[in-house]
Parts: sequence; structure tokens; C-alpha cells
Amino acid sequence: MRGIKKFKIDTKELSQKEKVLFKKLISAAELIAPLYLKQKNNKHPGANFYPYDATKEEIERAARKNPAILSSYTFVERDKAGKLIAIPYHLKFKKELKPISEFLEEAADLSEDKNFSLYLRSRAKSLLDDNYEKSEIIWLKTNSFKFGFIIGPIERYLDRLFFKKCAYQSWIGFLDEEKTKEAEKIKNAILTGRRKILSGSEKAEISKLGIRVDRTAIFSGLIADFMFTGTNLPNDVKLMEKYGSKLTIFESSLESKFKGDHLPIFKAVFDKKFQKSYSEEDLYKGSLRCILLHEISHSLIRYRDAEERLKDLFPVFDELYAYILGIKNCGILFLKGVMNQKELEAILIMHICRNFTWWLDSIKNPDVKHYAIGAVIAQNFFLKEGAMREKGGISWPNFTKLFICINELSRLLEYYLAVGSYEEAKEFIGEYSSFNVFKRFSPQLTKISKLK
Amino acid sequence: MTEEKKFYLTEEGLERIRKEYENLKELRLAKTRRESPEILYSEDLNPEYLAFREDINFLGSKIIEFENIIKNAELIRPPKKEKQNIIDLGATVLVEINGEIDEFRLVGTLEADPSNRKISNESPIGRALLGKRVGEIVVIKTPIVNHACKITKIKYNNNNKAIRL
Repeated sequence: MRGIKKFKIDTKELSQKEKVLFKKLISAAELIAPLYLKQKNNKHPGANFYPYDATKEEIERAARKNPAILSSYTFVERDKAGKLIAIPYHLKFKKELKPISEFLEEAADLSEDKNFSLYLRSRAKSLLDDNYEKSEIIWLKTNSFKFGFIIGPIERYLDRLFFKKCAYQSWIGFLDEEKTKEAEKIKNAILTGRRKILSGSEKAEISKLGIRVDRTAIFSGLIADFMFTGTNLPNDVKLMEKYGSKLTIFESSLESKFKGDHLPIFKAVFDKKFQKSYSEEDLYKGSLRCILLHEISHSLIRYRDAEERLKDLFPVFDELYAYILGIKNCGILFLKGVMNQKELEAILIMHICRNFTWWLDSIKNPDVKHYAIGAVIAQNFFLKEGAMREKGGISWPNFTKLFICINELSRLLEYYLAVGSYEEAKEFIGEYSSFNVFKRFSPQLTKISKLK
Repeated sequence: MTEEKKFYLTEEGLERIRKEYENLKELRLAKTRRESPEILYSEDLNPEYLAFREDINFLGSKIIEFENIIKNAELIRPPKKEKQNIIDLGATVLVEINGEIDEFRLVGTLEADPSNRKISNESPIGRALLGKRVGEIVVIKTPIVNHACKITKIKYNNNNKAIRL
């Protein structure tokens, strides 16, 4: 089914009632994919959210008179007179959203967890009126649901024009308590430090950070398309400041990405002798930690005015800096004895492989370009500073130099997110965004399906 | 004669080890008091007996490990007042490192728990900070990460408990 990715997971531990509940949630998630596909159109930077003939300036002008034009939950269309008007998602998709909402109500009736029922009912209502705040607050206030479940319009990556419109997605998973405990330890070890803040910046303080590692059963909508291995929500900085944020690591998609992308890339781009020093287990752990540290960092790098200041460039800096700060924090964890040198090296290697992955993903799906641009900036920066050596399509990292680079890149990215202007940010991207750094590895990457 | 390895522990750390040691001994006693499964099942070794032996052996080795720790435990005590401006085991320190302000207590490896601000004296940062004073800038050098670390506060608690600076 298009827009849906299912993973094999064991449901033996679920009671009979929970199994029925789980099926209801799966049914709801499956119905979200067609809505996402109606929003997606990577031939246009504004996807299907805006009329193709409308310019950025025309949309901005219309939004000054009618703020609903740039609301996260509206389509922009032309009326008979050619004027831009906003159509709320819940009206545009009224017929399609009704059965989804009903599945959530039915699942809520089956749940023995009162808070989860409350969340499902609230979410069922949100889908029908586009008022998501109440259900997000309920979700943020509780961290112990057996089911990890999200449904609704959430991420804004499809809107490459303004980074405003949310695309529909859903996921369902079960809590992996053991892995969640391990992740919690790393999070707590990182959060003991307090970063110095650039003067003049509007740093948002995120008071609470919930964490869970899930065995995911299904991705639907945007998340199936992007195959995220982790996420940190909500995206609204005001909600984050007031109620904290919650990160989820998706074990099932991580395993799939690791086997399908990260590991084959490692084997294709690194020197054979160098490869022998790292087992598959070391590298998988490195990839898991890479995404965990990335998601933790998202809560540490929010500035109240960054989205307005950096506009469509914001996600490039937000995603790249989350990776870079995550790795920078690993340095401190290593010095504190939380991880050993080999583990730290595996994180760095997996970061490089992830950079290649985003580039490969962006060839087939231009909607992930924010990630791909971030990846190419990092890769060019490493190469320019001598942290990576290359010969005949094979590379060797210099870990000591990589760490120096990561510190320097971290300082620059912090500046752009904290106080940098749109023009400065654009210039910085221009300096480091040549994709040749990846393209010259194309011959040995052809085995990886996306280049075929 | 080789010197036996010392285990540096706070009072509460040693107390916890003693309790765990007693629990392990009780557990072994309870297991051995119960009737041991038959060695043979038909003509083969009884899997229940093998599991029983495995449990007893595991408990035995843990008990020996804990006995060794208790025998070689060295209590971490606050140094004399005139030496409390120097970092030693048990000190809570406030440092500036790589653009961050961080605070933690230096403990022996057995008690290390970085998620609760307890850092091992054998970690790279622990080794580098031992013996240093307030105001000193220590360069922590490792094959992969090198950071300067400025010591801004050192404090000991005479009740030997963790404190916040």
C-alpha cells in the first residue's frame, strides 16, 4: 500500500482486548496515508498546499490580510474570482477523517488505561476540528503508554516554500522498557551540563524531556515516506516550553535503515582494513546512539524566533545542528566514562554513513532535501578541514580532526540558529552545499537500491 | 607479592555493597536448603540439575567478588580542611568544559553513575582532575577528544554525602 510501511513485530504479549484495540489503531493509521498522498507533490516546492501558479509574494500578501492562509492546517486555493482562500484540513477531508476519528473512539472504549483513552478521544476530536493543542498536551503529560501512537498533521517538511503546512502521518509501536531505560541513562548524563547561551538570543528552555524506545508496527503518511528512526515532538516551541517534549526512537525502522543503508554504505565507502576494526554490533549501537543523541539535542537548540528568522532554511540548521551537537556531547560522555573510544568512533562513522543515506534518499524523494543539505554541509566541512581523507573513492576518517571540526561546526550552527539572519544562513549553505562530495562515490554505491 | 586492588567507596556505597552481599548469601543458602534436583533424568543429565548448578556457581562467584570488594574497600573521607581546595575522591566539582558548565562528584568506579552526576576517578575527566585546584585549567588529552576544563568550585561534604554546589 502506498504511503504505508509495516514492520514485523511480536504481539504475543498483548491481551485479547489489546489486540482488538491495536487493530483499530492500525485501521486508523492506514486511512491516514491517502490524505498524505493528496498533500504530497514534490514537483512543486509548495507541494499541493498552494495553487501552483501562486508566487511566494502573492501568498505572503494574502496572509497579511488573512493569517489562515499560512496556518499549519489549511490548504490554499483560489475562489472563482481568483482570490487566495484558506480551506481547513478538517473541511477538505471531512468525509475521510470521520471513519479515522471513529476508529480512535472505538479504540478508546477498549483501552484499560484511562489516560490513553482520554488521549485517543481528544485526538479523535482534534482530527475533526483541527484543534490539536489539547490532545498534544495530554500526550505530553503522560509518558507511560504501552502503545506509542501518533496520528494527525504533524511535520512540515513537504512545504518547502514556507515550512508551515503540516503533513498527515501516523505510527504505532510498543514500548521497549529495557532499551528505554538505557536511553534514559544517556539522556540524563547529557542533561547534567548547561550550555552557555549567546547574548541577544531568545533561547527556549525545555523543562521536561520524555523518552521512549518503541518496537514500531506501522508507519503511515509522511513518516513512512521519510522513514525516520527517531522523532522529538511537539514542533510548537511554545508548547515545548510549557509542557516539555517527548522523543521516540523507532527500533524497527532503525534496524531496516541500518541493514538497508548504513551498513552497506559503510562497506562501500570506507577502506577495507579500517572496516575490520568494527563489528556489525558496534556499528548498530553507533547508529542507535547517533539518532538518540540527535533527538535529545533537538530539545537543547530551540530559539523562540529561529523559525521566523530563518524561514524555509530553519529545518536545514535545526536538523544538522541536532546531529552535530549530539556528537559534540558524546565527547563529554566519553571523558566521563559513559562510553569507550570504540563506541565513540562508531557514532562518528555512523554519522558519516547517515549523511550519505540522506543524499541517496533525496535522489528519489526531494522532500527530504532539508536533511540532505544538512548532510552535505557537514561532509564538505569535514573534507575541507582535513577530517576525512579520500583516494579513489575510498575514505578514511581522522577522528581527532573530526572532533575539532564538530566543535567548530557546532559553534557556527549555534550562531545561525540563535541570532543569524536569513541572508547569512543562505550564504553559509551556499559555501558548503556542493553535492560532488557524495556524487564521486556513486560508482561504489550503485549496489544500494536507490541508485539503481 | 602483588598489591591487591583497592576499591574506593563512599559510606553509602559500602553499605549498599554489604547489603547486596548479605542478600546473595541468603539467596544461596535458600537454594541449597531446598532439595537438589536429581543428577540424572533417564540416562541423561537432568537439565534442572544443570540449571541448579549453574545458579549455585554464579552466586558463588558473585559472593567471592563482593567479599573481595569489602575486604579491600577504602572509605572515601573528606580531606583535612587545609586540603579541601584540592580535588580528591568524594569532591563535588563545578567545571567549565567545551562551552558547558557541569557539576559532578568524583567517586570510585564501583559507584560511578554519570546519569546521577557520579563520575569515576578512572574516567579520562576523573584522572585529569584529581589533585587539581580551583582556577586551574586542565587540558584533558585523549587519542580522540581533547578539551580544556576550568575548575570553578570544589566542595566536600563532611557528612560524606553528595551535595549540590
